[in-house]
Amino acid sequence: MIKLVKKDLKLFFSDRQGIMLTFALPIIFITLFAFIFGKTNNSEEGKLVSLVHSVAGTSVMMLLFSVAGIGGSLLDEKQDGMLKKLLCSPIPPNHILFGKLVFANIISIIQLSIMFVYAWLVFGLDIMHHLPSLVLMIFTIAFACSGFGVVLASFAKTRQQVQGFSTIIVMIMSAIGGSMVPIFVMPEIMQKMAVFSVNYWGIQGIYDIFWKLLPLTDITFLSRVFVLIGIGTLLNFIALLMFKKNILKIV
Amino acid sequence: MINVSNLRKTFDTIEALKGISFNIPQGECYGLLGPNGAGKTTTISIMSTLIEPNEGKVSIAGYDLKKNPLECKKNIGVVTQEIALYNELPAYDNLLFWGGLYNVPKLELKARIDEIVNLLGLTDRKNDKVKTYSGGMKRRVNIASALLHRPKVLFMDEPTVGIDPQSRNLIFEVVEKLHKEGMTIVYTSHYMEEAERLCDRIGIIDNGEIIAQGTLDELRTSGSMKETVVISFTNLTDERYTAIVNDWNDLQRFDDAIHFYSMNIQGDLSKIILKCNEVGLDIIHIDIRKINLETIFLSLTGKQLRDK
Ligand SMILES: Nc1ncnc2c1ncn2[C@@H]1O[C@H](COP(=O)(O)OP(=O)(O)OP(=O)(O)O)[C@@H](O)[C@H]1O
Ligand SMILES: [Mg+2]
Repeated sequence: MIKLVKKDLKLFFSDRQGIMLTFALPIIFITLFAFIFGKTNNSEEGKLVSLVHSVAGTSVMMLLFSVAGIGGSLLDEKQDGMLKKLLCSPIPPNHILFGKLVFANIISIIQLSIMFVYAWLVFGLDIMHHLPSLVLMIFTIAFACSGFGVVLASFAKTRQQVQGFSTIIVMIMSAIGGSMVPIFVMPEIMQKMAVFSVNYWGIQGIYDIFWKLLPLTDITFLSRVFVLIGIGTLLNFIALLMFKKNILKIV
Repeated sequence: MINVSNLRKTFDTIEALKGISFNIPQGECYGLLGPNGAGKTTTISIMSTLIEPNEGKVSIAGYDLKKNPLECKKNIGVVTQEIALYNELPAYDNLLFWGGLYNVPKLELKARIDEIVNLLGLTDRKNDKVKTYSGGMKRRVNIASALLHRPKVLFMDEPTVGIDPQSRNLIFEVVEKLHKEGMTIVYTSHYMEEAERLCDRIGIIDNGEIIAQGTLDELRTSGSMKETVVISFTNLTDERYTAIVNDWNDLQRFDDAIHFYSMNIQGDLSKIILKCNEVGLDIIHIDIRKINLETIFLSLTGKQLRDK
């Protein structure tokens, strides 16, 4: 399985365009949002909130796009015959999926870390005083999103379909989860619906750390962590079922 | 080494395999020859555990494919019909990956890669990304990727489709070398020349059935097929034709030419020419049509092996 992950990492880092999309684009978004929201808020707290929101909202949304791409690569491998060859080899078929999930986690963790480090260096987001909570949050968000791409891929036939699907679904989840317009300015009914999106829980967790300034042991913060782990577990479980049912079907 | 008995496979309504059986002893190169859609890939896919048959048994290197797929997989190398490589990675990294799946120790693996890359004439380019390769070079890498774990059994599904003659020859040489070293090979193709050159025994498959199998010589004689020599003349008349028919009854006249049929053209050719001289016929053209897989296939199925 390690070999599968290594191969995916090699592939990833040999693709400049992919790297740009995964790491540079989110930074551009953060910058953009931070400027837009920052302009409209003049108080100290307002500035902080808009920064935290820009980072939190963008990060989860961009993460979903990355993992959708990773799920799509599974279909590429199927279309091009790599999956067949993998299945002819003595590795257990499920390892193909686990390898992708591990890879998705690694990329997600790198992506999130880069975004927070950027927000720290450029906008002075105080990550240093919240490092343990932040690391925990990064890991759980990464885990929560990792299965999403594979689940998407298992409902699609081709890479192109995944791309179409994922854009729509990620946009919807991001909109209702508060990645774009902050949840706290939405009408109440929208706020209720938000709990159905990954974005909501990740964003709230990040609010907790940098805005609400909750400590790592706070029950509200930990509840977000548990919900995210729950979402991740569920998605990974669905991913496993769907992978066996759809993706491994060669004929 | 390989036992296949009574394989059946139906896709929805298409009966792709209707009871395929063959046995391949160790070290043999067995050719599965048949037209498009005959069931070659389906057979190979079943033997390499990719699809399950509706019926039938396969055993490889003494292991039952169904009960012990893992042991079978370790002993099999599969060259798929499609080129399955990571285009964005160099050939060398591709080979490291594919070989690595079989737990070959790293140092050993690297040595084997260097050896096979050299054998396939790719040493200069091994660090270039596969996407910069020609079709023939990709095919060569695709083959190399199936050999790194030194399998006892190699399945090659049309490994020479759509490539240049140079690559083709290199691939033939590799197959011949592996064959000499004692590897058991199943080679599918719809090019009869390939099967004639490479394979010890040939199974002719059509519509999901093996309609004939044996060595090339066995196939030639089993069909009790005759070879043909076609001789054209400048001065063929009815009298001269009658004179010939008196001596040689297995023939046919087409305008200025006579088709002589024989089980042994080599031996009969001089007699035929002598006879023609005797009756004063003036030969302008001789065409010998030997029995090959193409004619065997034609006589068995009434179809051409390939669309011309
Ligand atoms: N996944 C599938 N679903 C439905 N039918 C299939 C499938 N795979 C193969 N078939 C059918 O089974 C038959 C045998 O196909 P197969 O691919 O084994 O032929 P082949 O001998 O490899 O042909 P070719 O020379 O074109 O590669 C064909 O009629 C084909 O249409
Ligand atoms: Mg085929």
